[in-house]
Amino acid sequence: MSTADDNDVLNLSLAAASRAVAIGEISPVDLVAAALRRLDEVNGELCAYIDVYAEQALQVARASESLIAAGHRLGALHGVPISLKDNIAVENQVTTAGSRILRDWRPAQDATVTQRLRSTGAIIVGKTNMHEFAWGGTSDNPHYGAVRNPWDSSRFPGGSSGGSGVAVATRTCFGALGTDTGGSVRLPSAINGIVGLRPTYGRVSNAGVIPLAWSMDTVGPMARTVEDCAILLQAVAGHDSRDPASASAAVQDYTADLNRGVKGLRIGVIPDYFFAHVQPQVGIAVQQAISLLTDAGATVVEVASRHVEGNISAQLTIEAAEPSTYHHEWLRQRPADYGDDVRLLLEAGELLLATQYLQAQRYRAVLRAEFVDALKRVDLFICPTLPFTATPVGDVLVEIEAGAPEDMLSAIMQFTGVPSLTGLPALSVPCGFDDHGLPIGMQLIGRPFDESLLLQVGAAYQAMTSFHLRRPGV
Amino acid sequence: MMSEPFVNAKDVRLLARIAQLPLDPERESRLADLLSAWLPDANALSAKMAAPEFREVLPITLFAHPDHREEGQ
Repeated sequence: MSTADDNDVLNLSLAAASRAVAIGEISPVDLVAAALRRLDEVNGELCAYIDVYAEQALQVARASESLIAAGHRLGALHGVPISLKDNIAVENQVTTAGSRILRDWRPAQDATVTQRLRSTGAIIVGKTNMHEFAWGGTSDNPHYGAVRNPWDSSRFPGGSSGGSGVAVATRTCFGALGTDTGGSVRLPSAINGIVGLRPTYGRVSNAGVIPLAWSMDTVGPMARTVEDCAILLQAVAGHDSRDPASASAAVQDYTADLNRGVKGLRIGVIPDYFFAHVQPQVGIAVQQAISLLTDAGATVVEVASRHVEGNISAQLTIEAAEPSTYHHEWLRQRPADYGDDVRLLLEAGELLLATQYLQAQRYRAVLRAEFVDALKRVDLFICPTLPFTATPVGDVLVEIEAGAPEDMLSAIMQFTGVPSLTGLPALSVPCGFDDHGLPIGMQLIGRPFDESLLLQVGAAYQAMTSFHLRRPGV
Repeated sequence: MMSEPFVNAKDVRLLARIAQLPLDPERESRLADLLSAWLPDANALSAKMAAPEFREVLPITLFAHPDHREEGQ
């Protein structure tokens, strides 16, 4: 059972906890112990974790404490409890990707992002639950339990990094890594009321991460504040020779500009796409967020898009074809080991035409050119992260407009698809709550390798609001 | 009058046979429903991309250039 003292400690931001460890104000052992008590308290109901490294984490925390006492700080995450989505390899620890197929798989080597977190002193407390093989947006996992939303446990937490979203929102860790192909970091971040970043494609290594769709996969940080996401990104960003898609572009200083504000920045909006088909309360919350930013000195520029329509189809085609390629053998040898929804999607991906896949990949080039060109006239785009708030666990349809239920998978990809297809970075930031007390997120989309600007705008917004300070009642 | 689905169970059976993908008969109709929802949009996107203005557009697909030094060149 967590205590009042635990709550004080666990309410610290990652940045504050890190500073407190650095000056010896808090012991890493106390941080990890508090996180583990909190985890034990909520995980039974919310199913956020597949595996918890309680003993190992405490052992590392004791070593971490000794290092600090001796004057050695490994880096910005020294002594800070962090969680990893369970499709990210941890050496010799079971890494399931939320599947039965990999339930006994122990990687011989850490993923690059795992290595990089460890090298900056992070303490990994566990592996988080997820949509099976990351192929879906609900985290309703048939093998390890449906992850549940901490703001209302009858509702879904988004996905596919749903466990990471819940783990962060419930203060069982100070930050987490998720993976984002079609929106899997940004969706659970918005739905759980936290911050999540999809980096530019190639910015963060995918080596040692179970793939979903090679041409869109990314690893991204999830935390309660924008500053915390910046610190996590700093720890994992950079070229990696283990990943052939890794970019060699220079890594920015992601915390340097967090206090620069938004004065003079141009915010792009595409009114007839980004606000045309959203639940009213979602649209209002994001419009109010934009108004707040304009009050602080930004300007809004309306942009027309000729090509954004069609992005959902392109995502479905690519996200279906590439995973089915990876799963070819398992789908034939062990079909019954998949959950029903993922098996159906993998089977469907086998039946698409090569020309449909390649036309979708050509469409990406057109969409990217359109957005990169528009980003010469505006500094970023803002839109809702997704057009609705959390629906009940198990629902496969969602009502964005009253009386018109529609397919959840397509609806959930509506706005996250543009960064996924174009490879542009995108940040989801909490910007309100609906009448049911469910979080709403806004998505900031930026120029390639300019995560700093998105973090700058997100930090400016969080400095003016308090949505990110609320915590779920669970 | 009900319109014909874009893809029916028989079509799925044929496609699965070509792909050498074993399928239980009960899955054929479910896949037909899913593909009937997806494929008209996929074909519309293909038609869009076939327009002359996009003739020079290359697909975004990963072609990794390995580090020459790693290849010993």
